[in-house]
Amino acid sequence: MTRDIALGQFIPGQSVIHRMDARVKNLLLIAFIVLIFCSFNFVSLGIITGAVIAVILLSDISVKMYLKSLKVIIVIILITSILNIFYGSGDPIVQFGIFKITLSGIYRAIFVTVRIICLILISSCLTFTTSPTDLTDAIERLMKPLKILHIKVHEIAMMMTIALRFVPTLLEETDKIMAAQKARGADMESGGMIKKIKAMTPVLIPLFVSAFRRAYELAVAMECRCYQGGDGRTRMKVLKIKKLDVACILVTVLVLAGVILCNIFFAAKI
Amino acid sequence: MSFISVEDVKFSYDEDKNYVLNGLNLKIEKGEFVALLGHNGCGKSTAAKLLNAMFLPDEGTVVVDNMITSDEKLTYEIRRNVGLVLQNPDNQLVASVIEEDVAFGPENLGVPPEEIRERVDKALRTVGMYEYRKHAPHKLSGGQKQRVAIAGILAMHPECVVFDEPTAMLDPSGRDEVMNTILRLKENGITVVLITHYMDEAVMADRVVVMDNGNILTVGTPREVFSQVHLLKKHSLDVPQATELIYKLSGAGLKFDEMPLNTEECVNFLEGVLK
Repeated sequence: MTRDIALGQFIPGQSVIHRMDARVKNLLLIAFIVLIFCSFNFVSLGIITGAVIAVILLSDISVKMYLKSLKVIIVIILITSILNIFYGSGDPIVQFGIFKITLSGIYRAIFVTVRIICLILISSCLTFTTSPTDLTDAIERLMKPLKILHIKVHEIAMMMTIALRFVPTLLEETDKIMAAQKARGADMESGGMIKKIKAMTPVLIPLFVSAFRRAYELAVAMECRCYQGGDGRTRMKVLKIKKLDVACILVTVLVLAGVILCNIFFAAKI
Repeated sequence: MSFISVEDVKFSYDEDKNYVLNGLNLKIEKGEFVALLGHNGCGKSTAAKLLNAMFLPDEGTVVVDNMITSDEKLTYEIRRNVGLVLQNPDNQLVASVIEEDVAFGPENLGVPPEEIRERVDKALRTVGMYEYRKHAPHKLSGGQKQRVAIAGILAMHPECVVFDEPTAMLDPSGRDEVMNTILRLKENGITVVLITHYMDEAVMADRVVVMDNGNILTVGTPREVFSQVHLLKKHSLDVPQATELIYKLSGAGLKFDEMPLNTEECVNFLEGVLK
């Protein structure tokens, strides 16, 4: 079984994007996502697409990796764009019964496709360039204000760290269990969807049992290392806002201003 | 006063007083390397967890460096002082990057960031894993993971490290790596308690403690303990292979003064006999 999941994988490097503060990266990602959804015409979308391409080029990660991350959701892209083709209003170019394809429908499909692609690319850029620990650390710090609402911010971040740590371990274990069950004559390849899902039961049960045992042992190991929750804890890596981060924030603000201006001055096409 | 002293400890996992440890007495001096032997279920692992206040005794006391484990205020100081390395290296690593994992202990202790950095680098150098500090744990071999786990404990600056069958899940080369690391800790003056099933590892210790049924069967230097082949066999325990060979030969009338413990001693001895 291939374990080549591009989505959410960290690729170490020294690029500008890699060196940015993880908190800033997270906030800018949110800003980008909002921008992508708030661009109402092709000019503003063009600006964002340009910005996303610039970020990707700056991240110094091969375009192949980004294409891989798109591959995962290609079905979603196809379905939404096909649906949108039929949603336009105006004079039909082609008509099959009640279904009609219009110029505005095609525009709309292209628009939505570009939006989704931008969204995936910019989010993958964050996970590609930020180590899981930095990421959870950043989330912990950004969510700190939520402590007032009695949300256990540190615990959530800790759970994310551990989950990320154990994903490869559990995947490996799944492979082993599958091999063991196959060796005992389990048939996991043939049959339809339902049969295949049913065939996973003898894999999932041992996997769950072992996950619980691991969890118990990990808890013991953590206690042995004096873990006592988030209070009084320090961190080896202190996140610091550098000049680079300020520059990146300024650039993003410029893009933001550009998009807003374009939204006002160019008529919404769709 | 000994560094660690266990006095008349009774411990049971359930309410029915099925004691896993039944009046255990054990003293461990500073800087000593003690091996703890015994077959499965004799209470070795339980004893290990009593030493760092993971478990508290039902009766009796465990005192570590003048701190009694039953005092809740001292729990974390005791755990810092007595590190525990467990069997499965996979289930001891918390973070996705080696150096961050080693930093986990000192971070919990609230050590300032610059000092954590120093401690992490030093601990990783001690176990010989410094070059791997940016790697992910799942890409390492079992022996390497276990060395990282040891570094994680060392970064807390413990005076004693308890190893609960650290080599049980490793291949022979991984076992060598871990044993060499353990010997290096002892050279650095750290008290080592090693729980093991491998007699060849126990032979390296200063003192061997053999446990049976929640109590101590016999204590002594490796040579003293492994000379009692008959007693160990009776309790279905092994002796090192070299010792076993000489023991069997002695049944056939071979006489010897000192029980050989490793291959080298055995070869020398047999050479003398055969000449």
